[in-house]
Amino acid sequence: MPDATVAPPELKLRERNVLLLDLSKSMLAPLPDPQGTKGERQKIEVARTAVFRILQDAATTGTPFGLVTFTETVRVPVPLGEVHRENLPYIENLLALLQPSGRSAVWDAIAVGADLLRVGVQGVRGNLVLVTDGWDNASTRFGVRSEPNEPLKGGLTDLVPYVLPPNSELSLRIVGIGSGIERDRGVDAGSMNVLLDRLRTRAQELGLAGAFGFQEVTTGSQLFAQMVQAFLDVGYDDDRPLEEMHPEELAQHAASAARALKEPQQHATVSRLRAPRPPSPTTEVNYLESPDLEVGVLSAAGGAPAYLRERYGPLGEVIEAYLGGQYARALAVLGDAKAVLPPVTRLYWEARIQFAQRAVVEAARALLQAWSEAEKLPPGSQASVLRRLALLQARMQNDKETETLVRFIDDTEHRLGGTDPEARERLMDLLGRLMELRGTYQLTRLAGEGDLQDAALRHEAAVEDVFGRLQDARLQFSSAGPIVEGALDFIEICLAEMR
Amino acid sequence: MGDVKVTTRTKRSAGTKRESKSSGESARIAVVGIPASGKTTYFRFLSGHFGLNLPILYVPAREDGGNLPLYGDLDNDVALEETTYETTDPTDPEESLETTTRYYVNRPMEDRRKLWVELSAGREDQGILTKYPLPTKFNQFVEMKMHFRYGTPEDKNGSRAMELNTVDEAGGIIADYFSYDRLWIDSAEGEVTEKSCRVIPHFDSWRPDRRDLWRRGLTLLGRFVQEADAIILFLSPALASLRDQAQQINLARGVFRYTRARDLPLVIAISKADKLKEFYGEVDRSVRERTFRSQFDPVDFLLRRDGAGMGTILVAQEGRGISIKEDVFLVSSAVSTGEGHPLLVGEGGQEAPAIGTPTLGVPVMVNTTLPLARACERILAKRATKGS
Repeated sequence: MPDATVAPPELKLRERNVLLLDLSKSMLAPLPDPQGTKGERQKIEVARTAVFRILQDAATTGTPFGLVTFTETVRVPVPLGEVHRENLPYIENLLALLQPSGRSAVWDAIAVGADLLRVGVQGVRGNLVLVTDGWDNASTRFGVRSEPNEPLKGGLTDLVPYVLPPNSELSLRIVGIGSGIERDRGVDAGSMNVLLDRLRTRAQELGLAGAFGFQEVTTGSQLFAQMVQAFLDVGYDDDRPLEEMHPEELAQHAASAARALKEPQQHATVSRLRAPRPPSPTTEVNYLESPDLEVGVLSAAGGAPAYLRERYGPLGEVIEAYLGGQYARALAVLGDAKAVLPPVTRLYWEARIQFAQRAVVEAARALLQAWSEAEKLPPGSQASVLRRLALLQARMQNDKETETLVRFIDDTEHRLGGTDPEARERLMDLLGRLMELRGTYQLTRLAGEGDLQDAALRHEAAVEDVFGRLQDARLQFSSAGPIVEGALDFIEICLAEMR
Repeated sequence: MGDVKVTTRTKRSAGTKRESKSSGESARIAVVGIPASGKTTYFRFLSGHFGLNLPILYVPAREDGGNLPLYGDLDNDVALEETTYETTDPTDPEESLETTTRYYVNRPMEDRRKLWVELSAGREDQGILTKYPLPTKFNQFVEMKMHFRYGTPEDKNGSRAMELNTVDEAGGIIADYFSYDRLWIDSAEGEVTEKSCRVIPHFDSWRPDRRDLWRRGLTLLGRFVQEADAIILFLSPALASLRDQAQQINLARGVFRYTRARDLPLVIAISKADKLKEFYGEVDRSVRERTFRSQFDPVDFLLRRDGAGMGTILVAQEGRGISIKEDVFLVSSAVSTGEGHPLLVGEGGQEAPAIGTPTLGVPVMVNTTLPLARACERILAKRATKGS
């Protein structure tokens, strides 16, 4: 149990994740996958695949991640902390060696997960995701009351106040495998819902922010999709990071991006983008109603990424076929995975594959539908998904300016994932403000002779404001590394071009 | 250009405040611009102009026939003073810089074409008179100071000692100082700190001696503009490099902020105007046809036809310490006929033939004195207002 007396620096709820994975013997049972191409797969196999993916994302974004596994015994194979890319192979080997056996101490595991997220007097802060296919039949320390005043059996501690002390900011999402009619007994949905009800009641009583949800899955694809809500994309051949560019080349890119902001009529796609804003610490997402999509972009430089199918499930298989130039197969796999992929992901990939095989009309139709689906997404992932759609649209329309702008914003946000959260937040804020200069700039173009000076004055004041913030960012993050420096250089030149 | 009159070599801390040679009524005008915006040429030609009577062409033509109340007191004043600051030992605990000062006075040169040749040659061929003896820009910068008078020599009450200053070989320092207001100092004793220098992109990755020299240069410039009575901003049109364009825009926006915050008169010189095709067409015709009255409209050009990409920015500044109609000038220190050949004017005022026997002629300057005269005018107007 961590030392609760020392409070680490405050971290945002969304930035601390602990996965609780059931390793009881029943996880060896197969899960059907009627719409998938693989037939039956063991629950543990699907869960491992999803964990690999989650680890990859954590290493990319720098988001602290912890893994708790449980049978009768609760273990912490990956303590809560930053996942470094170089350690991924070791962690993945370790996960591969974890073999299911025995029973399930579900409540004890939730308590250990909460301990990892405990921050002294600030309570338990972060996200817990529990993946289980069974019942609690082995906990020795914690229990959950069926009724509020019901006594707990011999010396057990009430789990609810333990995981939700005052000041906490916790989300618990339960992914329950099986419905009880499978060959192996499925998740105890009743007990899970009792736990969630009691957590909600306590959160309400204490006035705490939090989200508590339960989702039952019955197939391998559903399990993967629930563990990893995925919008996965793969970079284009000509992607190049800013810090590798010659300064004059960087300036040309920045000027090109600025043109996309300055000429909305010629670059209509830009108006569909949301200005990037750092996530608000109070923005919570109800997992049941509108789950956030994990948005990832893989680099395809040097060939297809390894273990696409193993790591990314059905979508990985689509991407593998796409990168191999097997567009018909990619479309077929995409069709088979229709039920388990978020609609926006499926439509985006349909558009991308169709565009690759020069079926422009079909590509445009699919992309149009993808835009509509993207509008329904929760704000947490919407901006990133919209940018990927915009990038594809810009390529389809051969609109280099928009492509450069979108690439810069997307690439910067993606690559800043592993850097200091404050630097990331400040840069995203600057990018948002840069995008908003479109408005004041347009007024200078539309204003008549009499109003021109007012419009120009307002625009120059807005530029001045962003430039002041840029200077402060330079001073604060002068040693933050080439990614931050490159992004600031780009914004500075963009600002100069906004005239 | 005239002779080198005196050369002194001294050790001086960059932060040491020096006594001005000017009298109490003198005025200091700072010339600022990005590298290669024409600051050096402006100084050299202007200081040469007083002694050499180089022809100045006004495009469009001026109503008064082109008489401007600017002159050099050649008997008493050093026309041009250049002080080279050079780091010799960056670890020097006394933080001193080696300085060399050269004073130039104006004397008419026997071969008037020589001046042109020296100035028009590439920098590597120009020699000591046009650029400085040390090849690297990373270990030296040069403070240039031109002494002149506003008024006419005949009217003794009207003449005043004026100084035109710049930090030469340091367009980068100038651009950085004005662009990043986090560097600005608030007093003539202030110092730009190492910490604030981090606002300059990639500053931490520079060599330590370059960082040190840059910081000293910023301090020197900061103190110097802190005491300035007016600023002339040089803007270069048709910059090929997008980086240079961005640097120039950031500098310009910074200069506007600076002069507005300090209520300083600002005059803009769109330098190297002969690079603008339309403008050059007017120059060419004005030289050939003495009676031609140019219709070139600088304001229309700047605002609507993007003279230096400054249209919207200038409009925003209108009336905030600057008037686009009265305070912006197109200038060209020396007009080229293209391919590096100077446009020479013979004794009769006609263009000297470029073929056949080399003909005596002097290079043409366009509107060069206007920004300086206007800056003086605004300083005097401001003083008069305060006095009244």
